[in-house]
Order: sequence, then structure tokens, then C-alpha cells
Amino acid sequence: MAIDPTMPILVVDDYKTMIRIIRNLLKQLGFNEVDDAADGTEAFAKAKERKYGLIISDWNMEPMTGYELLKEVRGDEDISRTPFIMVTAESKTENVIAAKKAGVNNYIVKPFNAATLKSKIDAVFGE
Amino acid sequence: MSAKPVEAKNRDAIAAMGDIVEQFNGKTREDLSLMDVMALAEAMTHSAHNFFDTLDSTIYAEFKDISTHIANMRTEIGALRPNDIKNGRIPDAGHELDAIVETTEAATETIMTCAEAMMMADTSDSDAYQAEINDNVIKIMEACSFQDLTGQRISKVVETLSFIESRISKFSNAIGAMDGDPELSEEEQREAKRREDLILHGPQDSKDAIQQNSIDDMFADDGEEEPNQDNIDALFG
Repeated sequence: MAIDPTMPILVVDDYKTMIRIIRNLLKQLGFNEVDDAADGTEAFAKAKERKYGLIISDWNMEPMTGYELLKEVRGDEDISRTPFIMVTAESKTENVIAAKKAGVNNYIVKPFNAATLKSKIDAVFGE
Repeated sequence: MSAKPVEAKNRDAIAAMGDIVEQFNGKTREDLSLMDVMALAEAMTHSAHNFFDTLDSTIYAEFKDISTHIANMRTEIGALRPNDIKNGRIPDAGHELDAIVETTEAATETIMTCAEAMMMADTSDSDAYQAEINDNVIKIMEACSFQDLTGQRISKVVETLSFIESRISKFSNAIGAMDGDPELSEEEQREAKRREDLILHGPQDSKDAIQQNSIDDMFADDGEEEPNQDNIDALFG
């Protein structure tokens, strides 16, 4: 699956600064269609409204966490195939395993850099 | 003159009552004189008096112990300076932490804005471009001074925590406190369950979490080891 640089990407994080960082990194990587959401609930509503090529989500948010968002997305027939990358400070093995079981496509631990983000996006899209 | 032991007093009283009861044997109500009744009453009063004497001294000793213990507790609680901690040190530490959040937010905002300005700077005029880059680099360096301020504020918070830890430790030793099972409020129980259900641990200490290990090592230990980015990458092939 080739990467389409025009695909819309949804970035989900409760810290505006982190959204800004990811948005700028994505811009550097050539992705300009970036939406954002502050938690899982808002993100799920947006994902139902617009077909995103990729969701990049934090884990620890309220009221709906990124983990819950992942399960909601995978459980929804309309958007279940949306690629999903978790970007989080949750770096316990059980988190990674749980996310993998729930159907996450890749997992990045914070803090991260542009090269890591690019390599994970490449990996998700098989490049 | 030393006082008679309580047991001896009781024995005497019982013996006196026994003597009187023996004198009553065979007598009808009409045979009993007022003196007989008074003698019995006196013997019984002595017996009751002895009993209450024993009771009073035991209870008195118990209350005295309790009173001493309460007085000691008051002294120890006073040394704990709970009002100073509650009204002064903890609120002050909270203010320091709030100030740290504000300072770091402001610095991050400045640094992000400068970085974005440099990303989008017009490169067509090299002199203007260089001036803009220099200007933003200086601003970024200035913003980094937040680290000095936050370092000092964090030191004050750590000092407060050390003060509280020291006082609680002394108090705990003074009263011989043992760790019990804390009773969580309903809200605390809900939060604990939420954290467990949603696997929320928060950031890990860098020395615990991010070590460069191989995926083989990680899975050979049945996944008990903390993952690093290489381990996680390997999970996704």
C-alpha cells in the first residue's frame, strides 16, 4: 500500500503542544491534511465524519483514552480498517501487547523524533 | 502503717457477714433486732467498699495511662506541625508546581513559534533569511532559561516533601504506627479501577523503561521486561 501524501491524518492528543509538534513533523514529511482531536470521544466522532488515511493517537486521555478509541475504531465496520499508530508515554510491555491485540498498526514511545515517526508510517504502509 | 491488701479486706468482710448470718440461724423476723440488721448492713457496706476500692484504683490507673498517652500524642502531633503543613507548605508547593507548568508552557510556546517561523521563512532573500534565523535562534536560547527557574522551583517542592517525610517519620516512630490497609474512597476506588482497566501507568522512569534490548531477550522473558522502541518495532515486524 503506497503512501498518499494527500491523505487526511487525524492526530489525537490532549496536549495542544504535542499536536502542534506532530502536525509540524507531518508537514515536514509532506502531509498537509492534518486534523486534530483532544480525546478519544472527539476523535471517534471525527473519524465517523471523515475518512482518514491514518490515525495517530496518544493513549492517556480523558474521558476516552487512545486504547478505547482504538477498540472503538476496530469495532466499527465503517472505519475498522483505518491504519492506527499509538504515540504514547505508556511504555509497559502490557500496554504494547494490549494495543497489538486490539489491532494497532504500530507503537511509538514518547519522546520520539521525526525519523521514528517517518519509519513507523513507512512500516504501516509497507514502504 | 501499711494498708491491708484488698484480698485480706475481702476475706475479713466475708467472715464478718458469715458470723452475722450464723447468728441469724433459727431466728424469725420478729427475733431480729435493729442492731442485727445494722451489723449486717455494716458488714455488707465494708464488703462493697472494698470492691469499689479495687475497681476505682484499677480504672484510675487505666485512665491515667490513657491520659498520659493522649498528652504524649498531643506533643507529637504538635511537633508534626500539621497546620503549618496544611496551610503553608503544601499550598506553597502547589503554587510552585503551577508556576512550573506556566513557565514551561510559555517557554514551549516561544520555542515552537520560533521553530515554525524558521520552517516557513522566505529563503529568497539570503540576508533577510539569515537575520530571521538568527533572531529566532536567540529567542529560543532565551526561552531555554526556563530550566534554571523550574530547577529552583522543583528544589523548593522537594524540600517541602523532605520536611513532611521527616516529620511523619518521627511521628510514626513516636507512636509506633504500623502500616494498615488504607480505606480508599469511592472516587479513589473508581480511579484505581479505571487505571487498571485502561492500563494507565503514565511515563516510566527512563532508567526503568527505555533500554536498548533485543526483541529476542524481551520475549524470552515472556514479555516481563520493559519495552524499548526497538523491542516494540520488532513486535510489528
